[in-house]
Amino acid sequence: MPIEITMPRLSDTMEVGTILHWHVHAGDEVSAGDLLADIETDKATMELQSFDDGTLEKIIVEEGEQVSVGTLIATILAEDEVSSDASTQSETEPVVSDQEQASDQVSEPTTQEQDSHSGSPRVSPVARLLAEEHGVDLQSIQGSGPSGRIIKRDVLQVIDTTSETTSAANTTQSEPTTPVVSGQATSPVQPLAAVSPWQKDRTVPLSNMRQVIAKKLVESKQTIPHYQVTMTFTMDPLLEMRKTLNEQLVASGVRLSVNDFLVRCCALSMATHPEFNASFGGDCILYHGPVNIGIAIALPEERGGGLVVGTIRNADQKSLRTISQESMYLSNKARETGLSIDEMGDTTFTISNLGMFGVDNFTAIINPPNSAILAVGSAEEKPVVREGNLAVGYEMSATLSLDHRVIDGAMAAMYLSALKELIENPASLLV
Amino acid sequence: MSIASGERVIEFREALREAMSEEMRKDNRVYLIGEEVAQYNGAYKVSKGMLDEFGPRRVIDTPISESGFSGMSIGSAMRGLRPIVEFMSWSFSLVAADPILNNAAKMLYMSGGQFGCPIVFRGNDGAGGQLASTHSWCVESLYSNVPGLKMAIPYDAYDAKGLLKTAIQDDNPVFFLESERLLSTSGHVPEEEYTIPFGQALIRRQGADCTIISFGRPLHFCLEAAEELAKEGIDCEIIDGRTIRPLDIDTMVESVRKTNVCVVVDQSWSFASVGSEIASQIHVRCFDDLDNFVHRVHSDDVPTPYAHHLEQAYLPNPRKICEAVRSATYNA
Repeated sequence: MPIEITMPRLSDTMEVGTILHWHVHAGDEVSAGDLLADIETDKATMELQSFDDGTLEKIIVEEGEQVSVGTLIATILAEDEVSSDASTQSETEPVVSDQEQASDQVSEPTTQEQDSHSGSPRVSPVARLLAEEHGVDLQSIQGSGPSGRIIKRDVLQVIDTTSETTSAANTTQSEPTTPVVSGQATSPVQPLAAVSPWQKDRTVPLSNMRQVIAKKLVESKQTIPHYQVTMTFTMDPLLEMRKTLNEQLVASGVRLSVNDFLVRCCALSMATHPEFNASFGGDCILYHGPVNIGIAIALPEERGGGLVVGTIRNADQKSLRTISQESMYLSNKARETGLSIDEMGDTTFTISNLGMFGVDNFTAIINPPNSAILAVGSAEEKPVVREGNLAVGYEMSATLSLDHRVIDGAMAAMYLSALKELIENPASLLV
Repeated sequence: MSIASGERVIEFREALREAMSEEMRKDNRVYLIGEEVAQYNGAYKVSKGMLDEFGPRRVIDTPISESGFSGMSIGSAMRGLRPIVEFMSWSFSLVAADPILNNAAKMLYMSGGQFGCPIVFRGNDGAGGQLASTHSWCVESLYSNVPGLKMAIPYDAYDAKGLLKTAIQDDNPVFFLESERLLSTSGHVPEEEYTIPFGQALIRRQGADCTIISFGRPLHFCLEAAEELAKEGIDCEIIDGRTIRPLDIDTMVESVRKTNVCVVVDQSWSFASVGSEIASQIHVRCFDDLDNFVHRVHSDDVPTPYAHHLEQAYLPNPRKICEAVRSATYNA
């Protein structure tokens, strides 16, 4: 093994050093104590001396380069030691056989060092792209460009050979084959099918919306002390009333959703629970005047996916019919053309409903600057206990996520109880 | 490869004259001004006969005072006329740099849109042949650096006429760079009227192995080189940019995406030049398509020599273009 010379720590505070000048060259004999190089530290220029006898095999860090302490800068071969690096031999015999690796065929010392160091061959951009498209292994190609650069022609040659081999294999063995990695093309064993494009890892840049979601929700989850409180609601009366109303409203084109009722329930409950219509203000709590209920709207894949929160302003002053119409308008517009700033700003409380997807229950992340968000599951028909008897009825679970800086557990429980009162006695929602 | 149709063949200088005369007949705001353009029929006979047809009010001889007549013409353009200013050589325009660069190119901007400057500056650009260094200027790189102006460089008689008519009709200052070496060359020019829009490059030769981009006179060197290279099996595609501002980079990019190799041939000096600008834009737009860095062929980085053989060696000649293409296609 060659002796490795690394960037020495020449002062207590030194972290990086610059090679100012090499006093020796590759192939020079060196003895212990010989001056090898001048190194510039953060404080001064100092001399690097050899601790060993032998032949300087190669210089890895060139003059002018700055590297960290401990980085390999040169190697010395002890007496009688032969270089393990084929490239050193190629200096005396520049002709290299075809089988040798591309990294070995270059005879310029600088390239050698770089290539053997990084282990990746030089490739022209279009050659790299072609190789990627055709699944050609660049390491298996010997570049014919300057300094062994792999160029378009080299990759095309491999692709041609591969497709010939592949088609030959096809005719003789009549087995389906896919374009294969070049190195294996000549192997008698049928290679595994190349990885299909859809199985490969993909990197998709973030859309603006996803960037905003990522930023806003991390901020929310990291700065707001979240906790959750869940309650189950008996849904039979509300569903029954909804059915009746919708039958009567068919002519006017109104179709009330469960969510419309929940928007009204949540909004009406703010009068007695203003903390749920508030924001944490650092050294104060800001109680909002208007009750603006946000509804989370998932966007279709064609529009890039993601979600937005549409705002139903002054929801506490709006009838179920108005809430339903606005809610329908917002979700359609969000999915078709996108919402304006006005249509999605200034929420004071948010509802996220995954009930329509059959979700039992889930927790949501608070939509700042709100202090709470209600995550709603589906109304399910299930065995229930009613007045001591087992019966079949509809139940729905909803979970509040809360900012503990504004709302304490007992307050959350009371808010949910208020919701329960409204949901289970829905006639009051009509007045 | 010429797209010109019809049987009629005229000289490059006649094509220029036709463009000016036709536009002057149509629009009496258009006039020609410059040294020896009237009574002497033009130093290079481009304006031959125009004094007779249009009279001394519209074909105007000037003293040797480029700064003066350029500035006066710019003033008239601001007030509604459409002057064509002939520089005997673009080399002489250097003394008028302030009016043509500082006034014409910036007028619309600096007047807040109040004054445009519909003016054409035209004349011989590049080495004319043993005119020595002060009279052999290629101004394309120097002047195209300035925003607010347009610049066209015709390759043949057909383009000379079509581009010059567009230049005269344009409401902006147009720098129209002709070559003394091309004035006597002939080409097909149809009788019927036509114009060539700015910003539309033309593929002068189709090829698969290397895209060569050039303008004006050096295109002839490129075509010569392409014949030589074809014998070696290197198939060149030659693109005539036609206008430097606006630059039709899209056509160039499309070609480079096909050939993966690009050589830019520009008769100006290499440093901060049209050639370096195009190479830079190709590197940006075609980075993943390139099999080699964009090679450039320019005039050598010295003042233009007077001696004939040195001048020939100095120009972006076919030999240099062949060498660059061989190197870029890894056939060196």
